[in-house]
Amino acid sequence: MDAIEAELTRLTSKSNLSKALTNIDGCLELLQAARNQIAEDPDSAAKTLAMLQQTMNSQLEKVGSDHKDVYTGLNKFGKALDKKFKSASAYHSPRHDNIANKQPELHRAVAMHLMREGHFSVASHLLDEATGAGHPIAVPPSLEEDFRTLYSILDSLSGHDLNPAIEWAHSRAHDLEHRGSNLEFELCRLKFITLFLDALETGPEEAMQFARTEFHRFQQRHFRDCLQLFLAFTYRAGIAGMMTGKNQPKDVVNPAPYPYYNLFQNVEERWENIGKMFTSEYCGLLGLSAESPLFLAVTAGSVALPVLEKLRRITEDKGTEWTSHGELPVEIPLPSPRYHFHSIFVCPVSKGQTTEDNPPMILPCGHVIAKESLDQLAKGNSANAHLKCPYCPKECTLGSAMQVII
Amino acid sequence: MSSSTTRLDAESHALLDEPLLRLPHEMLRKTFKTAQKHYEREQSHAMTTIKEAARSASKRPSNDAATPALKSLDALISRMQGYKRKVEVLHEEEKILHGHTRKRIAHLQDLYKIPSANGLVDPAYDEWSKARLDRLLVDLLLRSGYVDTAKEFVEEKQIGELVDVNVFVQCARIERSLREGKTTAECLAWCTENKQSLRKQKSKLEFELRLQQFIELVRDLRHKDAMAHSKKFLVPHSEAHFDDIKTAAGLLAVLPTTQCPRYQALYSADRWQKLADIFVSTHHSLYGLPQRPLISTALSSGLSALKTPSCHSKVVSSSANSASSTHSLCPICSTELNELAAGTEVPYAHHARSSVKNDPVMLPNGRIYGRDEIELLASKLDLRAGWIRDPTTGEEFEANKMRKVYIM
Repeated sequence: MDAIEAELTRLTSKSNLSKALTNIDGCLELLQAARNQIAEDPDSAAKTLAMLQQTMNSQLEKVGSDHKDVYTGLNKFGKALDKKFKSASAYHSPRHDNIANKQPELHRAVAMHLMREGHFSVASHLLDEATGAGHPIAVPPSLEEDFRTLYSILDSLSGHDLNPAIEWAHSRAHDLEHRGSNLEFELCRLKFITLFLDALETGPEEAMQFARTEFHRFQQRHFRDCLQLFLAFTYRAGIAGMMTGKNQPKDVVNPAPYPYYNLFQNVEERWENIGKMFTSEYCGLLGLSAESPLFLAVTAGSVALPVLEKLRRITEDKGTEWTSHGELPVEIPLPSPRYHFHSIFVCPVSKGQTTEDNPPMILPCGHVIAKESLDQLAKGNSANAHLKCPYCPKECTLGSAMQVII
Repeated sequence: MSSSTTRLDAESHALLDEPLLRLPHEMLRKTFKTAQKHYEREQSHAMTTIKEAARSASKRPSNDAATPALKSLDALISRMQGYKRKVEVLHEEEKILHGHTRKRIAHLQDLYKIPSANGLVDPAYDEWSKARLDRLLVDLLLRSGYVDTAKEFVEEKQIGELVDVNVFVQCARIERSLREGKTTAECLAWCTENKQSLRKQKSKLEFELRLQQFIELVRDLRHKDAMAHSKKFLVPHSEAHFDDIKTAAGLLAVLPTTQCPRYQALYSADRWQKLADIFVSTHHSLYGLPQRPLISTALSSGLSALKTPSCHSKVVSSSANSASSTHSLCPICSTELNELAAGTEVPYAHHARSSVKNDPVMLPNGRIYGRDEIELLASKLDLRAGWIRDPTTGEEFEANKMRKVYIM
């Protein structure tokens, strides 16, 4: 990249048309001078023009060599690009594009991504333009509204206003509970912490009032957490002192001599996390992943492409092709856990991944193998056909194996 | 565990972005060629004019020579000024392109600045990759002809220096003139503009356009004009396209209503679509642009890298579904990508080893989870002691019905 940058610097500082322009000015000066000379002394016309013929010729040649300079500079820049991107064209081969026939689905993914990222105007522009071109994009009708709501709540959150978020979480309390989510409690806890801290100088009334009206909902599920928050009132003065820095703890090893002080630390971090948590739960309830799938997939693709290109080169050199239909022939290493989602089951007998048609089966001993492997191990195909577990001495019947869902 | 890496290979990442630098370079070359053409024309004109003026001045008596000399010098000066203005315009274009290139190199350098060891999980890489996605989105929008959307997005993201809107706008205009307008003029003008490069590429675009003009003349029953056109524009291509010219000549004897497939194909309106396709493909290779939108290539690989057999199964997977807040939904299962990733043309990722949650347990309904996940959920839900809940189906079971599972 540095070599390319150096060539660019040559272009911007030297090999560009600015020198040609200067020398064109020189041409103009010569012409103008000759003109003035003839105007002043008409008798000198022939002589002046003969002179001009020579001077102009060499001046124009300068302009020509300025052009050559630009040409050379561009060529060198081009060579630097060639060197850097020697094998790039293979990456752009249509062979790596398996979704060329899925334009509608691709455009839909793009439109949904734009909405998810909050580019509502761009997204609706896209829908209009696509409809105008005769390729309407079908996105879920309520999606824009859903994401608009999300963004307005996130906006309030970044302005440290929790009320819209709490209101939303409360209205979806049942669904959230079903997901095992603590979102509503976390929001209320943060609100309490904010009120508590805001009122350290004045008085605890507001925080207390909030706790009284809201916390009863969480008494059962979050009894201990609520208790902690309530008990913090008893240490208000001490916590206030530490917060304002007037009463810094001397003991560095144990910086929180006041119980519950840590509840009130790292509040900024809590604000940041609550936004992420809210987005994740909100998208979860919409049946969507928390991060843009388009972003994740394109990023994963940029990691995968070099591997796939290498594979293509090797198989092409050997004149072979991969045979396992519907499955990539090589593993693509991606960062874990961010790019790993589903659990994977690879049958230890057949070494193949299980699929819908060949699901994982558990034997009574607790070992799991693929259904096809199981059928091959069994002597016969009736439910009471016997087989021995390949991994322990236990024996069982075909019928006692049970399908599992990973 | 299935294999995992966090190493960022900036070198191979950058390869994907070749067009980012290639395109401004091609544009610079084009600017240079225009400048060179102007120069050659002006140089020869200036020298001939001065030579001519000098010759005629030397022939005339000296008191009579000044007036015509001044006249031709004045003309030359104003023409030279016109030339200068043209070069100034080109120099401005050049400066803009240099600026774009500078910005783009800096953008790619940002990638090299990320320490490669844990590069893929570095927040800086995320940011870079987001910027890349924005660029790729604009590329797709432009290639799809959604120019206004693309422009608005570019404006919102402030990425004008990293994308090439104008090139695509021009391309889309000419493409439309073929596809919808069914006219050759704009595209032929473009061919003339890029004559040299097209010749170097051995492009058949111009011939196909001329052939189309011939076909249209025959369709209008203007056979004489068609023959003249053929002599003038098709015959020069006879070396490379002799067979096509022969077939075209046969067209003179056949009416548009013909049933003969060979001539039907020539008369067919589909030929305009084909011409548009040839133009776009020629245009892109001339500018060093990939034939397929980059996002399509990247996405195709990415879908495969993330796809698992569970993603399109009728049975909802026990992991990475949207039913529980203990995990995030798999992006391939999410509505955005699910259909796009469906079918065997998008192969699923290969894994050589199982990867399941620690300490896997099976619930009575056959679903397998990590023990931690189940216990965490039970405590969050504050279930009755000794009970658990299936995070996917919501069924509740007695905890002692969990069975240990051995995944080899």
